Amino acid sequence: MDEWVAELQQGRLDAAWDLFLDRYRRLIFAAIRHYAQDYDDVMDVFARACEALRADDLRRLRSWVEQPEHRARFSTWLVTVVRHLTVDWFRHRDGRRRLSAVAEGLPPLRRRIFELVFLDRRSHIEAYELIHAGEAPTLTFREFLGELRATYQAVSKGRRGEILRDLAPTSDAVENLPADPTGPSATGAAEQSQLMERALTMLAPEDRLIVELYVLEELPAETVAKVLGLPNAKAVYNRSYRALALVREQLERAGVRREDL
Amino acid sequence: MLDTRVRSETVTPDCLQDDVIAAFAEGSLAPDLRASVLPHMATCVRCRGAVASLARALADPAVARELSVAPSGRRWYRIAVPLAAAAVLLLLLSSPGDDPSSGHRGPPPPPPATTPVLRSPIGVVAAVRDLRWSHVAGADRYRVTVFDATGGVVYAAEAPDTVIAFPDSVTLVAGASYLWKVDARTGFDRWATSELAEFRVAESRRR
Repeated sequence: MDEWVAELQQGRLDAAWDLFLDRYRRLIFAAIRHYAQDYDDVMDVFARACEALRADDLRRLRSWVEQPEHRARFSTWLVTVVRHLTVDWFRHRDGRRRLSAVAEGLPPLRRRIFELVFLDRRSHIEAYELIHAGEAPTLTFREFLGELRATYQAVSKGRRGEILRDLAPTSDAVENLPADPTGPSATGAAEQSQLMERALTMLAPEDRLIVELYVLEELPAETVAKVLGLPNAKAVYNRSYRALALVREQLERAGVRREDL
Repeated sequence: MLDTRVRSETVTPDCLQDDVIAAFAEGSLAPDLRASVLPHMATCVRCRGAVASLARALADPAVARELSVAPSGRRWYRIAVPLAAAAVLLLLLSSPGDDPSSGHRGPPPPPPATTPVLRSPIGVVAAVRDLRWSHVAGADRYRVTVFDATGGVVYAAEAPDTVIAFPDSVTLVAGASYLWKVDARTGFDRWATSELAEFRVAESRRR
């Protein structure tokens, strides 16, 4: 048993905390750095993470230790908690004003997209509909998709980097948009979106999750295999291929052309 | 593929706890629990996003390096000092003629395995009555998983020992390939995973 756990179980909270921090400080820093690149941000989030982990006599750590059965490694659970704290810290700290500064250098349309998607947390379709109904009535959905992709690329290159992926409500979607946005009209896109949802619903939950994680979230096949308990990446390739064939079949039956997907 | 579906990040009572999200991301979720939460994961963007985000973080080389590091030197020091003292004491108390095998002690024992080595079944087998693997130093629990050719879990169980009886209730198809692995729990926060092994049942009458 780890020394910090023994100290915690003996009620020696200060000693438990010192030992815990001695062992996991570098992991906490690494997890925060994965989401945030700016030095000051990393230090501030680290301070917040320590404060949260130490709060209420190490309540979070005690609740973990007192669980009769542990489903995950402690260190993975710790990274999960640090991720939540990091995302919450950025949401709380940045708010509208600071996040707006991220978009200052963007062209007007991309800035508007940024405001709707990242600040107002609108879905991509909602963002398009609002822009189309307001300042850009001639903007086609194809053009919007290109601008949306460019917006994501622009903000992800900034100092906040990976954290923006977690702050956006539909963070996974844009990476799957066509590189050459020559897609359908807005109405067609909305209808296709519903058809797609329906087609995915028809898949078995595990197959749908394979598609969601491998195709839409773009996780490596090896990672998807590990997450879902599949033996290897080949199983992911095979099952996603079959699942996507089913999805295409459903969509084609509904009149959506292959080239529109 | 076009994916512009409207999504919601509302937390629902079905949303997964942190430890389940963590277990999902590291691939250690028990198969029965995984099966029970799959329908929610498939449709909940919040939980799915959290698992994907965490999986990306775990794959970050800097995070992975910290996850894999040994306990700090301070802990080793605390263990090593009493061990060294005990060794010195043993040397002082033992006389040169005490050991009947002195002179030739034979080759040193092999180092203890750090991951389980799968023993049987491997390759073509007549039947599968049990699953066997090697002991891992310090392991107090083993988790066995058998997959079919599509990657579906056909059997999963935990055992304190290095052998587990394969239940009659699980039917193995003759001629079909299966893969299996064993995870050994070697500490409060550590699991060691075996390589995958493949086997196939030759006879058609029995699993």
